Amino acid sequence: MKKLIAMLLALVMVFALCACGQQAAPAAAPAAEEAPAAEAAAPAADDAAAESGEGKVFNIYAWNEEFKGFFEKYYTVPEGVTVNWIIVPNQGSAYQDALDEALLAQADADDDEKVDMFLAEDDYILKYTNSEATQDIRALGVTDFSNAYTYTVQAASDANGVVKGVSFQCCPSALIYRRSIAKDVLGTDDPAEVQAKLDSWEKFEAVAADAKAKGYYMTSSEAEDYRVFSNNADAPWVDENGNLQFTDAIQTWMKQAKDFSDKGYTINADIWSDECTAQQFGDGKTMCFFGPAWYFNFCMGNAQDPEKGCMGDWAICEGPAAHYWGGTWLLAPAGTDNPTMLADVMNTFINDEDVCSKLVENEAQFCNNQAVNAKYAEDPNFGSEFLGGQNPNAVFVELATKIKFENHTIFDQHCNEKLQENWRQFCQGEVTEDEALANFYKAINERFPDVVTP
Amino acid sequence: MKKHRGISYAKWGYLFILPFFIAYLLFSFLPQALTIYNSFFDNYRQGLTQIGPTFVGVKNYIKLFTPDKTGTIDILKYAGNTLILWVGGAIPQIVIALLLAVFFTSYRLKIKGQQFFKTVIYMPNLIMASAFSMLFFTLFSNVGPVNQLIQAWGWSDVPIDFFAKKVTVRTLICSMNFLMWFGNTTILLMAGIMGIDQNLFEAAEIDGANSVQVLFRVTLPLLTPILVYTVITAMIGGLQMFDVPQVLTNGAGNPNRTSMTLIMYLNNYLGGSKNYGMAGAISVIIFIITGILSLIVFRTLTKKD
Amino acid sequence: MTNKKSADSRRARIQMTLLRAVVYFILIVLTILCLFSFYMLIINATRSNAQLQGGFAALPQGHFLDNLRNAWTDASINIPRGMLNSFFIAASTAVLTTYFSALTAYGIHAYDFKLKKALFTFIMAIMVIPPQVSAAGFVQLCYKFGLTNKFWPLILPGIAAPVVFFYMKQYMESVLPMEIVEAARMDGSNEFRTFNTIVLPMLRPAIAVQMIFSFVASWNNYFLPALLLTKAEYKTVPIMIAQLRSADYSKFDMGKVYMFILLAILPVMIVYIILSKSIIKGVTAGSVKG
Repeated sequence: MKKLIAMLLALVMVFALCACGQQAAPAAAPAAEEAPAAEAAAPAADDAAAESGEGKVFNIYAWNEEFKGFFEKYYTVPEGVTVNWIIVPNQGSAYQDALDEALLAQADADDDEKVDMFLAEDDYILKYTNSEATQDIRALGVTDFSNAYTYTVQAASDANGVVKGVSFQCCPSALIYRRSIAKDVLGTDDPAEVQAKLDSWEKFEAVAADAKAKGYYMTSSEAEDYRVFSNNADAPWVDENGNLQFTDAIQTWMKQAKDFSDKGYTINADIWSDECTAQQFGDGKTMCFFGPAWYFNFCMGNAQDPEKGCMGDWAICEGPAAHYWGGTWLLAPAGTDNPTMLADVMNTFINDEDVCSKLVENEAQFCNNQAVNAKYAEDPNFGSEFLGGQNPNAVFVELATKIKFENHTIFDQHCNEKLQENWRQFCQGEVTEDEALANFYKAINERFPDVVTP
Repeated sequence: MKKHRGISYAKWGYLFILPFFIAYLLFSFLPQALTIYNSFFDNYRQGLTQIGPTFVGVKNYIKLFTPDKTGTIDILKYAGNTLILWVGGAIPQIVIALLLAVFFTSYRLKIKGQQFFKTVIYMPNLIMASAFSMLFFTLFSNVGPVNQLIQAWGWSDVPIDFFAKKVTVRTLICSMNFLMWFGNTTILLMAGIMGIDQNLFEAAEIDGANSVQVLFRVTLPLLTPILVYTVITAMIGGLQMFDVPQVLTNGAGNPNRTSMTLIMYLNNYLGGSKNYGMAGAISVIIFIITGILSLIVFRTLTKKD
Repeated sequence: MTNKKSADSRRARIQMTLLRAVVYFILIVLTILCLFSFYMLIINATRSNAQLQGGFAALPQGHFLDNLRNAWTDASINIPRGMLNSFFIAASTAVLTTYFSALTAYGIHAYDFKLKKALFTFIMAIMVIPPQVSAAGFVQLCYKFGLTNKFWPLILPGIAAPVVFFYMKQYMESVLPMEIVEAARMDGSNEFRTFNTIVLPMLRPAIAVQMIFSFVASWNNYFLPALLLTKAEYKTVPIMIAQLRSADYSKFDMGKVYMFILLAILPVMIVYIILSKSIIKGVTAGSVKG
């Protein structure tokens, strides 16, 4: 015990010294290892950076490593610039918390500490685009959006149409169906014919009844098609007077969700639960899933399982309405000391055909460059094994042009999540409709005290 | 002599408690004072826009105690939830821990493999609460092993949705808290019993006392200070219950907010909107509730001896 | 007379055997409950991400080494570094917390001074303030004064730990006879030395217990470090685990996550086993003195 205490005390002493060192010089003990490398790079850097007059450190805030991987593979960093990734996991809103603090402190930060680029998802992008924390990228030299999909530009623009960032990907989301179940229920598994039988909600609901009659589920979760509705809403969640409103689209979904639950067309699983993914095994009974390329390529692992899966028994079509799901945007923070490099990164990922092609070919992405995507859509050799040889890009190129990014507010993410969460309890019969709505309103007001709920 | 001692040693008392108060002032008092101060202000963020701080008096408190349309006062409902969840886990936790501590320290019972058992019962506490909840999630999911067994044994045709029903969610939370913390409590009590002078036990035995008499006449009275500590800290911990229900119900306190605890409620205001006003008011309420309960426990337990 | 006595002792023996059986039964049930989660953790650490997505499994599935390699070589996290950072923070916190809590408790327990009662009540009162409350303000202040990516803002607050103080105080009340202190004074021992050489050793079980608890709590702490440590070289184990869990869809691998959770438990377990031995040692030492 004494020895242990002595040892630990010794450790504390070391720490105390470190702490003093830290105050004296910013690069102290823990950073020491990395210091020599940085210093070695610095002298060479001086000239190049001095010429452009830009900072030597490019700080990128992100919550995961998806873009970091693409960036490191496909972007050549200008000589003399060190790229610094600040990756804060999303768990418990830590990413937005850390990012917000950094952005709010941007003006007073040292050049090497300034945020030079940050990543945001569609769900909360408006919080940043509609603030002083981001800047007009046209002024920085990103001016050509002719190849980018309109909705990705809309999403990165503020209320006055000033573009604040770009997305390196486009995420049109399709209806993903099991070919074998479609054959049984609809008599065909051909994407065009299936699409003809599922291109409106009336048809979708009628088919759901047929599927049920044959012992299948139409969807595994009542929230699976939520985005199809919410993406196409004709009014925002909160109107200009701050009143929460249920648009027709949302109301239709609420009705459908309850209806599907009562009639047993769905099993009310959470989209990310084991119960939902278990439906993607070969013995699953669910006919339809909804999702973009990243969903069926990376998240439907059970379907790709060599033993229990059903590789190739899938196909995609547009479904009742065009919509998107997810996507990561690169945003330009105000006050960056590397504006030229920032613009260069953005241009590379939307306008460099070579890089965009590699994203499609090597990374299973649907890139944000219409010309490149069209090239693959027409390529007869470009097909997905998972989709039984179907060319996903052929479906997506058309779908992507129909997507709108309208009527969005900073309240969306919270409203969407909380509505689904509370409405499920009503669908499952655990609470009454009034209770579900009351809990939904409470959740909204806890986050946004100024929003007026009914 | 006595007087002299009192005067000359007092400075040592002050000296010894000085570091604590310096650290407290710097690292806790400022933030806490800020919290209480904030509770009288409108102070939150909407997106990246800071609203306030504007002085609003006790508006935040009034808001907390305003009943909703159905007549429920939210904060009281969550205080009730918290108490139920705490009591459900804490009573078995303290009782079992006390028994185990007595078993382990009894030289009559001479439990073999003590070190093994002591290590094992503390092990759940080593797993992060979030990881622990993840495991429970897979176990009790609709397609998980528990439901497979239930269906295989014919107890139910359809899977039981453990995370959608009030009773099952609460039972799961209580059991998890019990499992995570009973080892911890056992160790505390054991250390307390071991601190008791062994001669007292021997003397009691010579006087012909049996095990039960020893427990109630010797062990428990001498253990009172530690037991008071255990109950009070278990209560403070219970009133601050957060991570298990948060992870298990994904922050929603399902169903119908019946497993929403006070700190989860606080967290709803802190996360995302940084509502320091409301969060501050809730903190003050939690502080008052805990304070009163601790005082009651402290008084009742220490009065007995 | 002798007959009755032997009958009595036989009955006592039978009672004892029965009691022992019951005790072992309870212990075994609890052991199974406790070990089951560990068993699942170990099993899950042997499964690939695809297998984990497929639901529960009762038997290991042979991906242990793959997961270990993948976790160890993951470019985004540096496991040894994370463990070192976590260990440094947790060990320093544990030492500071227990030492200063004991010192403070002794200050209140052993001395008479004017403010004693008021200060004790004050500490008891602040004990009931939820840590989440000060955490929010603390983070605010840390951002304001640029105290991010430093270890000491996570360690030094440990000096003021009201809960540990309360335990030490209660423990002293039940085990620390002031006569021993008086005897030391007679020998001319300086008060600070008396505390370090005589009082501290007597508190050994209590110190060991609280060291374990504060070490574990600090080791598993996610909330504050996640907000304050954002640079890769400062990240602690829970932040790295959260990072693996929020990995993007193409790199998401629960096998790695479970492997890391398993790895993260080993150091705390070693610390626990070492320290829990002193809980027993303390007793033998105490009884000799008694």
